[in-house]
Amino acid sequence: MVHAAAATHSHLLKKDHLKGFLRKLAKEYRLVAPVRNRHSDVLFTVIDDLDAAEIELTEPPQNSLKQFFLPQQERLYTYTTTAEGYDFQPVQATIPPTVYFGVHPCDLSAVLYMDVVFSRHQRDPFYLRRRQGSVLIGVNCNSPAPNCFCNATGSGPFLEMGSDLQLTDLGDRFLVEIGRAPGQALIERWQVFFSPSADKDRAAHYQTFLEARGRFSRQVHVEQAIRQLEADTVPEQVWTELSLRCQDCGGCAYLCPTCTCFTISDQQLDDAGGQRLRSWDACTFAGFTAMAGGHNPVQAKTGAIRQRFTHKLRDDVRQNGRPSCVGCGRCVGICFGGTDIVRFVERACQGSL
Amino acid sequence: MPQPIADIYLPRQARVEQIVAENSQIATFVLAFCDRSYNDGFRYQPGQFMLVSMPHCGEAPISISSTATRPGNIHLSVRRAGKLTHAMHGLRVGDTLGLRGPYGRPFPMEQLAGRDLLFVAGGIGLAPLRAVVDTCLDQRDRFGALTVLYGSRTPSDIAFQGDLELWRKQGVDCRLTVDAAEPGWDGPVGLVTALLDDLAPELDKSTALICGPPLMFRAVLGKLAAMGFGDHQVLTTMERHMKCGVGICRHCHMDGKLACVDGPVFSLAELRKLKILELDG
Repeated sequence: MVHAAAATHSHLLKKDHLKGFLRKLAKEYRLVAPVRNRHSDVLFTVIDDLDAAEIELTEPPQNSLKQFFLPQQERLYTYTTTAEGYDFQPVQATIPPTVYFGVHPCDLSAVLYMDVVFSRHQRDPFYLRRRQGSVLIGVNCNSPAPNCFCNATGSGPFLEMGSDLQLTDLGDRFLVEIGRAPGQALIERWQVFFSPSADKDRAAHYQTFLEARGRFSRQVHVEQAIRQLEADTVPEQVWTELSLRCQDCGGCAYLCPTCTCFTISDQQLDDAGGQRLRSWDACTFAGFTAMAGGHNPVQAKTGAIRQRFTHKLRDDVRQNGRPSCVGCGRCVGICFGGTDIVRFVERACQGSL
Repeated sequence: MPQPIADIYLPRQARVEQIVAENSQIATFVLAFCDRSYNDGFRYQPGQFMLVSMPHCGEAPISISSTATRPGNIHLSVRRAGKLTHAMHGLRVGDTLGLRGPYGRPFPMEQLAGRDLLFVAGGIGLAPLRAVVDTCLDQRDRFGALTVLYGSRTPSDIAFQGDLELWRKQGVDCRLTVDAAEPGWDGPVGLVTALLDDLAPELDKSTALICGPPLMFRAVLGKLAAMGFGDHQVLTTMERHMKCGVGICRHCHMDGKLACVDGPVFSLAELRKLKILELDG
């Protein structure tokens, strides 16, 4: 109920006041936002100079927030191997409290999913110490991009919960909804930038939501594919065909805001030691499941592709009640083999619609 | 205030106290954590595994082959397979390695109480079952008859000979077979499944525990089914590539389950619900 949620806790932030508000935040937090760089690419970037940064809130950023909570490669420990023995030393890292500003609903949903992944079975210290002390300020999507299909994954175009503050662009002003206590605290602390919202603002918010919902250019039948996977009725030929076209590049997994599979490896630095690293991995990589000696308990290609889509659309629905595809469309843009998740959903549903 | 979070990936230093060469490829490493008080308080259950660190080799999951009823040491029986296990075979008494764990769902010893247990293993597959056999022997009254069927490639490949000897002395019915005989071998030659022909288990009170290479696994499953074993009466422990050991990295995926947290011990009834090569391939 987007309308009702807006009515209970909402404020206005005039666009003229946005930079002032961010400037205050940047004094106390590291600020990360989607910034258009000199190559015209939009990327979530750590902002050092707010005046020089061109914050872009409409065009979806090419990266997600994943790299900030699960870096592409991070050092877990250093180790020494000397006459006294072989031992590990924790790496002292200070993670500055960070405000993530201008996060689209897909990427916010992805962070909420990662929160579950990194605390369901065990609390992952490296993820959680980056996540603790982070503030999420979301911005709803008024104009979904051509590859977007978050309406089909239940993660957009407007988000009703999960962020600390949630912004909606109403032209000359943002409607600001309070999601969680840290957001409330920011509004109270910097109330000079905010004013109360009126009925007409909330009506405009609802109207914007309705219009955004009508602007998706793709109809992706995610629910249908989920049912097919659950019923195990996806034709074998679909898996074979997709696996033949997959080039094993890992681009989908690297760009995906919810692909969190990782590997752990050692890097020797000298005779006396090295470092233990955690790096992004991809279940589609041929060696992902191969064991020492070469035996692979998963059929290298079709089994890997099956795992990718079954995990996102069946296993995570079973576990969390919703798919872990958030409909951001990044894999659609990066995949040159045409084996992205939209292609899978379309192929799985052919003949069954 | 953020709660302190345990450093779950940090290996602890352990020392090699003894090395038993089981055959040319398998050795059992008797280990103790260097931190004495941690070592004294360390508990685990049969079927669980450790993640072993070796310098510059990362980590590998190795099932514990000792029993928690004999505290003070952890036994890891390791076959040379990849880089890390090769490095382990270069260890000498007094050397140190890294350990974290124990991880995974163990064998359901409570459910096995009072039952006759039929162990069927091939090669290194006896390692995790050794933990169960010794647990049973240390609580002999709790369990029924114990039978061990063990297949090896050749007579000189027969590992755990010291254990087999001890088990026989304690009344365990141990039967061995080899794929290919050598001079001096007068025992059976052939698949471990053939040893099942000579048994007449009391089905209503028997559970089979299997661990071995995929081909053996499938053959034994077929044979047990023909003998009348139900899927819930057959337990196994699955081998998978693992990185985190705690259900996050997903390298050990098994059609929606993870070997590291949902297993590695599974009943055949549980496995039948999954699309996995061990059953379909």
